[in-house]
Amino acid sequence: MFENDTLRLPSGREVQIYRAGQGPTIVWLHGPHGVRRTDPVLAELAKRHTVIAPLAPGFNNVDELDDIRDVHDLALHYDDIFEALGLDRIALVGHSFGAMIAAELAAHVPKRVERLVLISPFGLWRDDKPVADLFARPYATIDRILWKTGEAPDVMTDPVNFPNDPVEKAVTIVQAMTSVAKFVWPIPDKGLRRRLHRVSAKTLIVFGADDAFVPAIYADEFAAAIPGARKAVIPDAAHMVVYERTPEVMRLIEQQLDERSRAA
Amino acid sequence: MKFHWFHLMAYPYLPDDFKQRYPSVWVTPPAAELYDPVKGHQVYNDYLDQLEFAEQSGYDGICVNEHHQNGYGLMPSPNLMAAALARRTSRAKLIVLGNSVALYDPPTRVAEEMAMLDVMSGGRLVAGFPVGTPMDTAYCYGANPATLRDKYREGVELIVRAWKERRPFTFNGKYTQLRYVNPWPTPIQTPRPPVWIPGGGSVEQWEWCIKNDFVYAYLTYFGYMAGTAVIDGFWETVDRMGAEPNPYRVAFLQFVGVAENDAEAERLYAEPAQYFYNRCFHLDPGFVGPPGYASIATLRKGVRSQVRDSAAQVQGKLLSWKEILDRGCVVAGSPATVVDRLNDMADRMKVGHLMLLMHYGNMSHETTLYNTTRFARDVMPKLRHRFNEWEDKWWPKDTLPEIQKPAPIGVAAE
Repeated sequence: MFENDTLRLPSGREVQIYRAGQGPTIVWLHGPHGVRRTDPVLAELAKRHTVIAPLAPGFNNVDELDDIRDVHDLALHYDDIFEALGLDRIALVGHSFGAMIAAELAAHVPKRVERLVLISPFGLWRDDKPVADLFARPYATIDRILWKTGEAPDVMTDPVNFPNDPVEKAVTIVQAMTSVAKFVWPIPDKGLRRRLHRVSAKTLIVFGADDAFVPAIYADEFAAAIPGARKAVIPDAAHMVVYERTPEVMRLIEQQLDERSRAA
Repeated sequence: MKFHWFHLMAYPYLPDDFKQRYPSVWVTPPAAELYDPVKGHQVYNDYLDQLEFAEQSGYDGICVNEHHQNGYGLMPSPNLMAAALARRTSRAKLIVLGNSVALYDPPTRVAEEMAMLDVMSGGRLVAGFPVGTPMDTAYCYGANPATLRDKYREGVELIVRAWKERRPFTFNGKYTQLRYVNPWPTPIQTPRPPVWIPGGGSVEQWEWCIKNDFVYAYLTYFGYMAGTAVIDGFWETVDRMGAEPNPYRVAFLQFVGVAENDAEAERLYAEPAQYFYNRCFHLDPGFVGPPGYASIATLRKGVRSQVRDSAAQVQGKLLSWKEILDRGCVVAGSPATVVDRLNDMADRMKVGHLMLLMHYGNMSHETTLYNTTRFARDVMPKLRHRFNEWEDKWWPKDTLPEIQKPAPIGVAAE
């Protein structure tokens, strides 16, 4: 259901852009799972929006990370993408790793981002409530801390999302995790707190109350650091809250992006 | 064939129920709880004595290595150990199989310290540059696995260049920027000490070693039978690149135990071997495969990391002495048995440099000296001629005549 095409940027980099749906444009920045064909959240968003979802650098090919060395390069890379797409004042929804990128973009280039929804973002750090080390466990076990139930639903693990060849499937996963690791290793705190005051977007923070990866207390941290930000902590949900409680989170997103309130 | 005495320097006092009580021997075993520095004093001194004894026994090289936060490797700084050995030995080459270059900022520190070792030892240094295991690099030292290899390569390039250049130069790298590169001292060996690259099984290391004229040192704890696939991969690469198939391009690590007969071998070596495999080599599987550590080429080639495989092999299992022998993890028995097995290894692998783990786990000092002596006396002479037809171009050349003289300080004589 998603179309995808390759966008060539003035930097010479190529980006895969997924598109679906019709309606007001919304930009989706994916988490560590990338853009899966059966992604139920994208399907839901596409019912009422034109969804544009760029694939994060490295997910298709880790060599793309060579000249994107830090979060600053990363934020500017996304700014390049939206410049090339002619999207000047975007409604930006990010999940997990994608929420960190969204926050970085909104802090680096505040004028580009008009509405912002950060779902389970990381990028801040408290010694007394550490973000769990997603990389100090075998990949096969990460679902235990990402999902409230401890396992991913069938729709996410559908084989159609992966290459048939087991080695290539492993490569796909490793490239995704390497891309995340590059920007958060060994602690996901790369100075975002010092930049968040720059965010001018109308911002909503969404957390699952039982997030075992990024504790929900970080909703307070983000909300306190971003001027005027609101937060919503959804009970009985974890890091994958937008997948676990899709209708509820959709309503929050809709409210946040609502055209009338946008005009106000 | 050359013979090198390799120490891991295991901490020999891990509790019997270590595997049940602690998730990992590496990265997180609580030091204050498990390590006793007073016992450690004796341990270091015994271990250094053993390395010095290896020189007296006729081994060509003595090897130190680098591990961090590790219950079976007490050498976070191999350079400190090599410095102690440089003063107490006079003939054996000092094979320093750390420094994990990407962990040192700037890497010229490594160029400086290794040059110091070369000068102090009279040109006896073999400079080893491992990438470093995932545990040492990504977890203990916080190195980003996504950039580790790239940073490592750049660091090695800088060090080798620093040794070769005749004038101060400027280095504007991706990871290191130095306006003035001009390390003092310079090494005795010109243009540089031989460089060995300890590796697990990363395919891109093979080509790189051959191109740069570095020795590929394959370090595995699972013996030559399991290691053959990796060494085969190396020789295929040598062939494809049209390089000389000289056995001295390769070094291989093997646990060995020599005794009067197989029964005595079991009596002497079974316990320390089981201590190593069943207690020391107990790794949290979460620390063996950080994303980006293995290159995509290595993944596609299907050469898996030795730590990952090894950890999987022993995790949750207790290996018996028989299993340890059958797998070829340890080559042990009478001199005839050991000669036989190592000849088989030499035939299969064509490895000119044999690195020998003669101490493992909680082996006693006396047993270690016995093993060291028996190998030198009863095994080494029977294998010495192997690969004599080849010139070893990756070995210190005895630049200074005086290093042939005995050590200035009497070392513990047998």
